[in-house]
Amino acid sequence: MKKISRLGNEARLGWTLVAPALIVIGLIAIFPLGWTVWESLHLHELRMPWLGQPFIGLANYVEIANDPRFWGALGHTAFFTVVSISLELLIGLFLALAMNRVFRGRGFVRAAVLVPWAIPTVVAALLWRFIFESEGGIANALLVDAHILRQPMVWFIEAATAWVPVILADVWKTTPFVALLLLAGLQNIDLSLYEAAAVDGANAWWQLRHITLPLLKPAILVTLIFRTLDGFRVFDLIYVLTGGGPGTSTEPVALYTFNALLQNLRFGYGSALSVVIFAITFGLALLYVRGLGVRLGGDEA
Amino acid sequence: MLPARTPSPSFPVRFSSLSKPLLVLIGVAGIFLGCARASKSHETVLTFSGSALGAEGTLVAKQLKDFMRLNPGIRVELQRTPDDASQRHQLYVQWLNARVGNPDILQLDVVWTPEFAAAGWVLPLDRFGPASSEFFPATIVANTWAGRLYALPWFADVGLLYRRTDLVPREPATLHELVTDAQQAMARPGGPRFGIVWQGARYEGLITGFVEYLGAFGGRILDDSGRVVVNQPAAVRALQFMRDELYASQIAPLDVLTWHEEEARFAFQNGTSVFMRNWPYAVGAMSDKTQSRVAGKFAVSPIPASGDPGGHSTATLGGAQLAINAYSESPAAAYKLIAYLTAPQQMLERAQAVGQYPTRQSLYSDPRLRTAIAIPPEDARRAIESATPRPVTPIYTELSEILQIELHRALVRQAEPQDALNSAASRINALIDRTGMRKLMSAARQTTDVPDTAGAGAPLPADRSQ
Repeated sequence: MKKISRLGNEARLGWTLVAPALIVIGLIAIFPLGWTVWESLHLHELRMPWLGQPFIGLANYVEIANDPRFWGALGHTAFFTVVSISLELLIGLFLALAMNRVFRGRGFVRAAVLVPWAIPTVVAALLWRFIFESEGGIANALLVDAHILRQPMVWFIEAATAWVPVILADVWKTTPFVALLLLAGLQNIDLSLYEAAAVDGANAWWQLRHITLPLLKPAILVTLIFRTLDGFRVFDLIYVLTGGGPGTSTEPVALYTFNALLQNLRFGYGSALSVVIFAITFGLALLYVRGLGVRLGGDEA
Repeated sequence: MLPARTPSPSFPVRFSSLSKPLLVLIGVAGIFLGCARASKSHETVLTFSGSALGAEGTLVAKQLKDFMRLNPGIRVELQRTPDDASQRHQLYVQWLNARVGNPDILQLDVVWTPEFAAAGWVLPLDRFGPASSEFFPATIVANTWAGRLYALPWFADVGLLYRRTDLVPREPATLHELVTDAQQAMARPGGPRFGIVWQGARYEGLITGFVEYLGAFGGRILDDSGRVVVNQPAAVRALQFMRDELYASQIAPLDVLTWHEEEARFAFQNGTSVFMRNWPYAVGAMSDKTQSRVAGKFAVSPIPASGDPGGHSTATLGGAQLAINAYSESPAAAYKLIAYLTAPQQMLERAQAVGQYPTRQSLYSDPRLRTAIAIPPEDARRAIESATPRPVTPIYTELSEILQIELHRALVRQAEPQDALNSAASRINALIDRTGMRKLMSAARQTTDVPDTAGAGAPLPADRSQ
């Protein structure tokens, strides 16, 4: 009896101590999310008050399911995420391996590599827009000089070519971040493993495949989670670079949602879109954590 | 903080007979009264909102001051709002949803009036007896919803055709002539690389250009009864013509598909284009010899008709309107201010200070306007008289977005013009159904007594709001 009541007291004390934190989480995370879900079940058009604000069940979700522009946007987002992250991982791994070597000026190189990451996305996007914009742009000049293009081209009027600056900009900007995360992973690998392998006659390729990559897996998966979630929410880069065009060929879901919510002020429909994006990113995160066995706690050893 | 307030002339005290300390005391009391919003005196406080940057800001401040001097019982405060139209729109919509009475006077873009009117956010002005007939008819049509006037046009913007007079001395009478003129000028040794530049990026500017081609071929987006006719043959011909300028006659560079007003102006100003479609604002910068290579070598005219039967020369109407917040506490005073700001004298002042075109017809025969605006007033008048408003409907913004996407798809050759316009039409129809517009518009037509020629027998679509 005594023991139980003491436990109860402790539990009560525990709850009391975490209560402020829980309240804060509730206020800034759960409450807005709940409200968004509630909004998504209503017809709520801020600029059309004559429609009222009736409860319409899942009608907004049905509209989303039947909206080709949404499916297009989802496809664009997936395409952008897969292509840019693959490139970033590949180049980032290469950079991380290089930076992990001992050489003079290593500290300086590590800092210098981070510069693109430090530039605000909107500024970086404007920069890349400038490079690819107009026939007098730097990209056109270089490609024509190198005889790759016969004449300057307009990059932003064709879907295939409009993706080029978008993906390049993202890779340029985010690879340093990926490299840094992977570098941290590399530094956790015990050097004696390589020494032992070398003694056993393993070459560099074998060492990379059987020591570096397996032991780097946690770092790679953490990077993947970060980057996939970022990729799915891509907004500012594309907003500035292509505005989603030509037509809607490069429009990601976040831009479409922004458009519905803040340009057209369709609060109900926009909220439903937000809920869908939330569900997708949440699902992806779950998939990574459960399916691929990422331990965010880092108690792998 | 508070500007120093000078006692008004009607202050019922003879100052000369008072001692200095007492004067100071009265002054201090005056400031306190001012802080308390002078609820005891019968002063009305109005808030005016609108774009107030640079020269425009100075002018607005001066005119508000003049108004207060003439109307001692009314104090006007200037509330600055973003200069970017869509940001201002967003702010207004949020305030009005919250039924805030401030600002009392709203500066509306020409395509917002029906939206604000249908939402009940701005007051109908008819009860104040506005002199509607003195304004250009198109500017009144654009501000009329369900037969009532909801805003007074403050200044007008119109799409104009800029032309290099050294290359094309005579303004083209038809669009086909424009193409020939452009091609001939481009073929000259050392001639410009581009024949015509316009705004073809996927944004509102694309619609303003399209409306002009549409008029030139006799097409429309919505007809008088609100039916969607943007996929009719004339509209398809207009879009095809725009596309031919890019790919067939190749007088327009593909770059225009990413251009807004400023990129087009730079190209024309650097002498790389024979023609340009743009708003009147471009005249100023391009007349400046230090930055423009075409100063003194260009003229403007209305955009020509296609030459096809049914087509007519037209210009898209832009500009700003003044309306009264429906939740305003002092609508009568607010109207007084609107009437003052849209009076001939103030419009003329505005033209002189910032070069914006007056919306009152009579001012175009006033010799003072000739020095105020950069082009001959007859030309400006001709363009405004031929102006067409974009569809006057509360759902304009979303309608425009649909059209922007489909037009852009056709112009970048992702879709054929007919298919793109069919898709636009079906999506606009879906929008009309979704928003209960058919019902709203037929109610609007009943109040205006416009005979309904089409679609009256059609059953109303199920309305989700019920």
